[in-house]
Amino acid sequence: MRNKAAAFLSRPGVAPFLFLSPLIALIGCLILIPVTGAVVNSLFRDVTFLPQKFVFFGNYISLFSDSGFTRAAVFTLFFTIVSVFTEMGLGILLALLLNEKLPGRGFLRVAVLIPWAIPVAVSGRVWELIYNFNYGFANSFLLKTGLMNSPVNWLGTEAGAFLALVLADAWKTAPFVAIIVLAGLQTIPDELYEQASIDGAGIFQKFVYITLPVISPVIIVALLFRTIDALRVFDIIFVLTGGGPGGSTASLSMFAYERFLSGDFGGGSAVSVILFLMAMSLSLIYLKAAKLSEALK
Amino acid sequence: MREKQFKKAMLGAGYVSAVIFCLLPFVYMLYISFIDAASLFSKQEAAFTLKNYVNVIKGENLHFLTYLKNSVVIALISSLVTVIIAGLGAYAVTRMDFKWKTAVLLGVLGVSFFPQISIAGYIFKMLAALGLLNTYTGLIFPYTAWALPLSLWILAGYFLSVPPDLDKAAKVDGAGNFQIMAYVILPVALPGIVTAFLLSFIFMFNEFLFALMFTSDEAARTVPVAIALFTGLHGQVPWGDIMAAAALTTAPIAALAAVFQKRIISGLTQGAVK
Repeated sequence: MRNKAAAFLSRPGVAPFLFLSPLIALIGCLILIPVTGAVVNSLFRDVTFLPQKFVFFGNYISLFSDSGFTRAAVFTLFFTIVSVFTEMGLGILLALLLNEKLPGRGFLRVAVLIPWAIPVAVSGRVWELIYNFNYGFANSFLLKTGLMNSPVNWLGTEAGAFLALVLADAWKTAPFVAIIVLAGLQTIPDELYEQASIDGAGIFQKFVYITLPVISPVIIVALLFRTIDALRVFDIIFVLTGGGPGGSTASLSMFAYERFLSGDFGGGSAVSVILFLMAMSLSLIYLKAAKLSEALK
Repeated sequence: MREKQFKKAMLGAGYVSAVIFCLLPFVYMLYISFIDAASLFSKQEAAFTLKNYVNVIKGENLHFLTYLKNSVVIALISSLVTVIIAGLGAYAVTRMDFKWKTAVLLGVLGVSFFPQISIAGYIFKMLAALGLLNTYTGLIFPYTAWALPLSLWILAGYFLSVPPDLDKAAKVDGAGNFQIMAYVILPVALPGIVTAFLLSFIFMFNEFLFALMFTSDEAARTVPVAIALFTGLHGQVPWGDIMAAAALTTAPIAALAAVFQKRIISGLTQGAVK
């Protein structure tokens, strides 16, 4: 018996499989099966209190004629583009700053890390108060400094809510970009800059000809991580605007969540499958861009 | 010379704006948490008070401490399980030869890009069928699965940095896989294990969508969801209480980030720079 067991374990592929089996089982049961389940569900009319019925692409067809869905899709894309650009810009600036040998650099590093580490739901409530029309910090600051003559209706207007979301999201995620970009910056040897200074290069020339080429692969990685993350944005919207005013800031995740909440599992699944396909096609681009398959060998 | 002075001024201004940008919301949160809420609505002078904190901690209907306990316990157990399971996987991936290694790594990486909402609906149904909605177990399993990809990548990176000669020597001495793991890899890769544990903990403590969908009351609801849904009973939003609760939640996480900043940063940059 013992010998048989030992022989089985020493067969190629058995031991690695045993070591990986808990991981594969958990990811299989709680991620792969649910995704497949969502695809199957999306083909059914699956609404609470109604008998299940196979409707093929019926859920998808009714989505595309639903103005709420197209609005959510357009908002999600627009939000992703604007917020990712903002975060990348702020993040690169923060990274350049963190890379300087400044006094108090350790403090700055912690200050940058904290917004990233705090739950969005918690910092989102703080932003909600900051944006409050009557007594929030944003309006009292703008009025007291004379930058504005009348208070801005941050969360009550479409443009205000959009800006408010982008700022709160950039605040939370620019630190992540900064940390990734900083790692790239630290691979540049100081001598390169010193040599360039001797050759008479200015700050901006050094940035364009030395810094940018070295950090561009890292920037691509941060960019794609952030894009995929922004596509599935949910928390900050749930807390700050709830998708309002008038559904103008509902993301696809939010839209799907509301479908689930109303008991429409078929429709919610269809939205989440569409979002899934968007994220997966982007991550395929990411895999190609980063040439990870090469790095693995 | 002028360029140097210009750079110095730019850096100084940048430093100050960066600190203000990152910390202003927290300063504001602390300020509101320590003043009487009434002064927020009127123009009167803000008076210092600890009332908000007392409300949050003592308020029996708020269950704030229960939510905090739920969050900490769920995140602790899940990250412990995650690190063990990901550690076994990382050992296989870095120390064993098998055909489908690349497929496993790429598959796991691909999984980490799935939008949470695309699995949340179905997991909800699974948990409902098993009677696990609104329980710790109902969050721990999905959280663990969700955090596995990142932990596997972090741990695989650290395990690779352990010289293979070390475990070859152990093998010659007759050590099996588990012994190599416990006595060779574990001590050397300990910083990586701490990093994976910390990042998993922070991710799970911060998680929102699953906790929102799979819990319904203080039996399992976590702090982020509780704070997000925290509205007053009497119409007016109790901002003082909310900010006190937010501050009490922020403090431990901020302390963790400050103490382990190097570990967290190295964990986040794993893989991105390769």
